[in-house]
Amino acid sequence: MPGQSGYRGPSGKLLAGAGADVGDVLDVRVGSSTLRGTLVPRYEHADDHHIVLKLKNGYNIGIETGKITNVAKVEKGERPAFRALPPPKRPDLPEISILGTGGTIASRVDYRTGAVHPATTAEELYSLFPELSDVARVRTEIVLSVYSENLEPSHWETIALKVAQEVDRGVRGVLVTMGTDTMGYTAAALSFALRGVPVPVLIVGSQRSSDRPSSDAFLNLIGAATIAVRCDFSGVYVVMHADSSDDRLAVHRGTRVRKNHTSARDAFQSIGVEPVAYWSREGLEVVSKDTPQRTRDKLVPKAKFEPRVALLEFYPSMSQEHLKAVLGTGIKGLVLEGTGLGHVNSKNIPVIEKFVKEGRTVCMTSQTLWGRVDMNVYDTGRDLLRAGVIPLEDMLPETALVKLMWALANTSSPDETKKAMLTDVAGETTKRTIPRGSR
Amino acid sequence: MSLPFEPRASKLMVGLEIHQQLGTATKLFCSCPIIKSEVLPFSFRRRLRPTQSELGQIDPAAVFEFNKGKVNLYEWSPDSSCMVDADDEPPHEVSPDALETTMLIAEMLGSTQVDEVHVMRKIVIDGSNTTGFQRTAVVALGGAIATEGGEVAVQTITFEEDSSRVLGEDESSRKFALDRLGVPLVEIALAPITGGPDEAEALAFSLGRALRSTGRVARGLGTIRQDLNISVMGGEVVEVKGVQKLNLIAKVVRYEAVRQMGLIKISEELKKRGISKVSATTVDATPVFGATKSAILKRTLKNGGVVHCVAVAGMAGLLGAEPFAGIRLGKELAEVARTNGLGGVIHSDEFAKNDITSQEASALLALSRSDAKAGLVLVAGDRLRVETVAKLVSARLSRATNGVPGETRAATEDGETRYLRPRPGAARMYPETDIPPIVVTEEQRRAVKKMLPVPWREKVRSYSERYSLSGELALQLYDSDNSRLFEELAPETKLEPSLVASILIELPTRLSREGIDESRMGDDVLRSVVRALGEGKFAKEATIEVMRTIGKGDAKSVDEAIDKLGITGLSEAELRKIVAEVIKKNKPLIAEKGERSFSVLMGEVMRVARGRVDGQRVSAVLKEAMKAR
Repeated sequence: MPGQSGYRGPSGKLLAGAGADVGDVLDVRVGSSTLRGTLVPRYEHADDHHIVLKLKNGYNIGIETGKITNVAKVEKGERPAFRALPPPKRPDLPEISILGTGGTIASRVDYRTGAVHPATTAEELYSLFPELSDVARVRTEIVLSVYSENLEPSHWETIALKVAQEVDRGVRGVLVTMGTDTMGYTAAALSFALRGVPVPVLIVGSQRSSDRPSSDAFLNLIGAATIAVRCDFSGVYVVMHADSSDDRLAVHRGTRVRKNHTSARDAFQSIGVEPVAYWSREGLEVVSKDTPQRTRDKLVPKAKFEPRVALLEFYPSMSQEHLKAVLGTGIKGLVLEGTGLGHVNSKNIPVIEKFVKEGRTVCMTSQTLWGRVDMNVYDTGRDLLRAGVIPLEDMLPETALVKLMWALANTSSPDETKKAMLTDVAGETTKRTIPRGSR
Repeated sequence: MSLPFEPRASKLMVGLEIHQQLGTATKLFCSCPIIKSEVLPFSFRRRLRPTQSELGQIDPAAVFEFNKGKVNLYEWSPDSSCMVDADDEPPHEVSPDALETTMLIAEMLGSTQVDEVHVMRKIVIDGSNTTGFQRTAVVALGGAIATEGGEVAVQTITFEEDSSRVLGEDESSRKFALDRLGVPLVEIALAPITGGPDEAEALAFSLGRALRSTGRVARGLGTIRQDLNISVMGGEVVEVKGVQKLNLIAKVVRYEAVRQMGLIKISEELKKRGISKVSATTVDATPVFGATKSAILKRTLKNGGVVHCVAVAGMAGLLGAEPFAGIRLGKELAEVARTNGLGGVIHSDEFAKNDITSQEASALLALSRSDAKAGLVLVAGDRLRVETVAKLVSARLSRATNGVPGETRAATEDGETRYLRPRPGAARMYPETDIPPIVVTEEQRRAVKKMLPVPWREKVRSYSERYSLSGELALQLYDSDNSRLFEELAPETKLEPSLVASILIELPTRLSREGIDESRMGDDVLRSVVRALGEGKFAKEATIEVMRTIGKGDAKSVDEAIDKLGITGLSEAELRKIVAEVIKKNKPLIAEKGERSFSVLMGEVMRVARGRVDGQRVSAVLKEAMKAR
């Protein structure tokens, strides 16, 4: 249907007039020559006065609509139906769930049109990852299909409850696939919502899109599935490439992981701690000595989040007007990303104090990301403490945002909220900062 | 280059495809400079997933193979590679310089530019592209290149990124250097021609010269590669990749045309023998050779290997038959074996040569239940490889009735072709969505039209006319890397242009044949040599000696070379002195021969002067001196 193909305006009209659909073979007359090719879709953000043909040699070219004197349909395009292979029956293998929330860790290409289709069923997953059939029996479900930058706290709740449902079924582990942009935030959210989860919940994605042969998706997904089946630990973790080679994956605690590069395979890093484990084809190497182990406990999810919380990165010259404007949006809590040991400029301290006196919660983390805040050392820090700011040790700013949303939704007084923020739930703070040189 | 048959009767068709590196400052999709890195201090390892079928299916067998298979090891230097090359960053926008150059080439060849350029991903999973695909885009369609024999149509003009350099391979990995990945190339695909090898070569030269006339393509060895699509008798097309030297094309076309006609003759012979379908049986023949005298088989068995025998009914005599010199079915089978890790094969037409006895041959026939008319092919080595190769040999033999199998071959340095791999299926291509389509504007088209270069034939003619060079020397000058240097030096020096041309073209070629490193014969060296000669610092005849001295590294400058060689120019006085002495020494000869002793005297003076004075001066002074007597 031309409308769905991305053609609009003059190009849409031209194609509708010829009754041409994406996939049809067309003869397009331009001047004295005729170009024959298959009509392929047009990108949303491209202009409306070119049509795109895939030539016999496989190349696409764009033709200006204004130059076209005639369009004739040579043959109707066949839509070859993709038939997934039936998954092998291996009742001896443990069962895992794979929940999709967006991001395309598994997709296939229709070379005829160039369209990329995400895998949505278990059959499709097995077709793209035959190795899975030697690792586990897989249940799959698409929970959401959202760009991860568009996720809201209510989505975290949905995902958490869905994971809990799968856990209740008795699966050996749950994989959650998602876009990588806000993976750290979601990982933290699930860590709090699903605290005490008796099995591993592994969050996995890909930095290089899965339609390409070089994608990191393959190792990430197969590795995560294998870890979910074989590991002895429980909890929420992010599993992604440990370095630029396709050798090793790192298993990061969900509350201490951050996306630290725009595009690299090893963008995800644990901050202030080592990843809890590494996985390669040689096996799983558990590094951490205090990961929670599997249990048979019943999971009681606490998946509510208070969305009216802001995260603010302080910068020199930040004005009172700016801070007041943020606080005036009706937020119940604020996480500050201060400088150094946890500081903001003095002129804003009274604004913060007033906000706290109104019964709101303000917490401090550091924009240095590494190290722990200590507001006893300098005057500014001490003044902030007196104003009622809660220092969050070495918690990551993004994790703190998520935790404050979670704490506010699950407590009923500022004191309870403060206590919740200062009590470690899922490894989001550490007691000991190990020097970096020892890595 | 003559063929042992009529090209027209053989319906020889040659499709030329040229890949020319562009002379841009940076790579095609990032800002890395174009450098060949000698030192590659870092590396990373990757696997590329086998590709899906058209319908998105992955062959599970292929996936399991892949998981057991080799890893790609990429070595890189921060001088020549970045995260785009490592596939850890999306590609940047297409280099405007590369796009403009491609458009200029298209304009020059009369091609029609497309309105909107779409960069595509062409799947390649042999490891040479870190992404698993090559980025490429069509810029223009149609056009023609003029040759002496008429016009040849251009099919497409595309730009594409070059792949990484293969460094080597072992049991567990393939090694690549990342420096070359992303270097911009223009690919020009020509319609097939029906002329012979010489026409194909002339066509390549014409196209190469036309590309160079833009002044925007890279020069030097390896910057231009040609692929040839060759077929005879309307049969399967064989793709011959990687002919690097233009002057090997005629040889390669000839070899391949003869090879293909030879295979057709073999298939005709098979038909004559009543064989319409080749039936091959493979048996484990190891026990037959327990006491063999064959050195190769003895060695194989000693190392714990096996010998399998592929028996093909009715092919006795056809495995070693040479319908044309050097073309044998046996050779084809040996290539298949070599591509898959074995040294070759031993077939029944060469049993005696390989010390395999008639008893052993009979035993093989019995084992494989074949009659004496069967051909036998022995494959020896470790069991795994032998099993693979025996299957491939069997498959190759069963195609002997079809004549020429469509395949991809590589050109060798001697102008032959050898089997490389099966012909790929239709290229899997889909859009490179990280790069938006590029609309070509009227403004850009107008700007490119203004950049059209002087046609190369005109340029060559102008060299001839302006500098009084012979047609051949003018063409050599155009083809050489030093034509720009020539245009700089010729006007400023009082030396004859043809002398300057020969210094800049012929001498460096001669010296490089002697093994002198061409990088020592750079612009600065050549410039100083021409200038020094122009100033009379040494004799014309000594030029090559001076260049050789610098080239070998024995001197760092022209002055130093002159010093070392002791050939500082002779002053008038010194020259007259030598002439006088030579005349004195040869009084009897002069008395006897008079003027006819001139050449002998010349010779002697030149010998003494040894490159410190040029012949014309000696001649003048000697003539004068003799007149004076």
